[in-house]
Amino acid sequence: MAAALEIRDLAVVYQGVIQALTNLSLRVPEGSIVALLGANGAGKTTTLKAVSGFLPLEDGRVTRGSITLGGQDILKLAPHMIVRRGIFHVREGRHIFSEMTVEENLIASTFAQRKSRPRKDAFDEVYNYFPILSQRRNQAAGYLSGGEQQMLAIGRALVADPEMILLDEPSLGLAPLIVQEIFEIVAQINREKKVSILLVEQNAVIALKYASYGYVIENGRTVMAGSTEELSANEDIQKFYLGVETERAA
Amino acid sequence: MNSVALFLEYSAVGIASGGIYALIALGIVVIFKSSRTFNFAMGEMMMLSAYFFYTAAVTFSMGIFFGVVAALIGSVAVSLLIERFALRPMMGRPFIAIVMVTFGIGSIIRGVVGMIWGPNDLQIPAILSRSPVLLGSIFIPGKTARAFAIAVVIVISLIAFLRYSRAGIALRAAAADQITAYSMGIDVRRVIAFSWVIAAVTGCISGILMANVNTLTPHLGLVALNVLSVVILGGMNSIGGVLVAGFIIGWLESVTGWILGTEFREITPYILALLVLLVRPTGLFGTKEIERI
Repeated sequence: MAAALEIRDLAVVYQGVIQALTNLSLRVPEGSIVALLGANGAGKTTTLKAVSGFLPLEDGRVTRGSITLGGQDILKLAPHMIVRRGIFHVREGRHIFSEMTVEENLIASTFAQRKSRPRKDAFDEVYNYFPILSQRRNQAAGYLSGGEQQMLAIGRALVADPEMILLDEPSLGLAPLIVQEIFEIVAQINREKKVSILLVEQNAVIALKYASYGYVIENGRTVMAGSTEELSANEDIQKFYLGVETERAA
Repeated sequence: MNSVALFLEYSAVGIASGGIYALIALGIVVIFKSSRTFNFAMGEMMMLSAYFFYTAAVTFSMGIFFGVVAALIGSVAVSLLIERFALRPMMGRPFIAIVMVTFGIGSIIRGVVGMIWGPNDLQIPAILSRSPVLLGSIFIPGKTARAFAIAVVIVISLIAFLRYSRAGIALRAAAADQITAYSMGIDVRRVIAFSWVIAAVTGCISGILMANVNTLTPHLGLVALNVLSVVILGGMNSIGGVLVAGFIIGWLESVTGWILGTEFREITPYILALLVLLVRPTGLFGTKEIERI
């Protein structure tokens, strides 16, 4: 059963003094892809960490606001319990276990499963979406290419059979063709498995292409929201996000 | 007896005593992997377990089998208490502060054991047969040979368990990256507690074996200081490395003791540890991160 994620009036402080979020609200309806846009340091990754419960691990704290999944408060839950509620955070920089094999990486993710499901079914599903991982299943994950590592990071999420994936900068450091390929598969997962996706992405062009709705955050607050068509047509967005992107593309 | 035969005999005896080193080292490495904590109380946990065994088997006449079971239960309980109430509150604190806590716990255990059981040597019931083992013409004292066999079987089983079981994968995941482990549903605090259970088991068995080969005193745990060099040689984060390093240190102690005299026996492991730290700080098998070029 899928459920909507709702963040209301969220404020976050690191180390008691550094205000990372001041007033952030957003909603991810069930089964949708929602993009979170903003400059470096705007608070995109902090937002994802607040949802997945990582803040206490980095000396951060939610000082105001609420986060609910399907109406249930998840703010007080420990991170390993939040993932078992169905929200899987694929971290920026992929963070695969490089010393372990591809398959051991997937085994590690079985701890996130809400209800147990035969290991083979879960892994076959991953290998079905990412056939290259099947060929490399017994290789140390550190030897995968960047694109393959990103696939493994998303594959680990699939093992958990989540309702929602928090996807942080999947395009980071990858060639445009690989980025395209990965986003196609993510869109396919979203369609076929009804997994909703909250996407943080520097590459605004591709984020707006695949998402249906977007939020723009600046200095820790939501400053703009709208369907991706509306956002793409907006002059500020074109100037600051899409324009920046074309210059950066070189 | 010619010197080649003597060399082989000292080598065999040395390697045999290295088995127990490997067992102790495994407990240290597992805790280090799960939580980057160097447990200086390992030797005292080991010594305390041997006293538990003595009390159960001799004072309460429970016999050897139930004595071992009681000692295991007691050791695991103490280990979990240490983890829960002394180490967990220290999470995120500087490494040196955490190390000092384990050091302090070791001293407390040594003091309390002295108060309860007294400072004198105690004889624990013989678990291991004295009848010597002959490898061809090489003569190995019975207790040493049997302690070696038990230690190696346990070390290899634990290595296999940590290598292939789901729990072992959780331990390696938490060792590599705590936040990512959490993100995959792994309760890192439980993994750390689990590593203390493993250390309690290796400490308990090695303590009982050691008290059999030598005698039981509150200073039994000092042997764990020699194990420091095993851990440094094998690599702090290498579970498999403890076995080879244990054999090497055991062999080196025995052979240098024979050639250069017993006073050298005591210092050789430390000299080797120093050399390893200078030349190859990760140890023989300590992993450096795989980086794709």
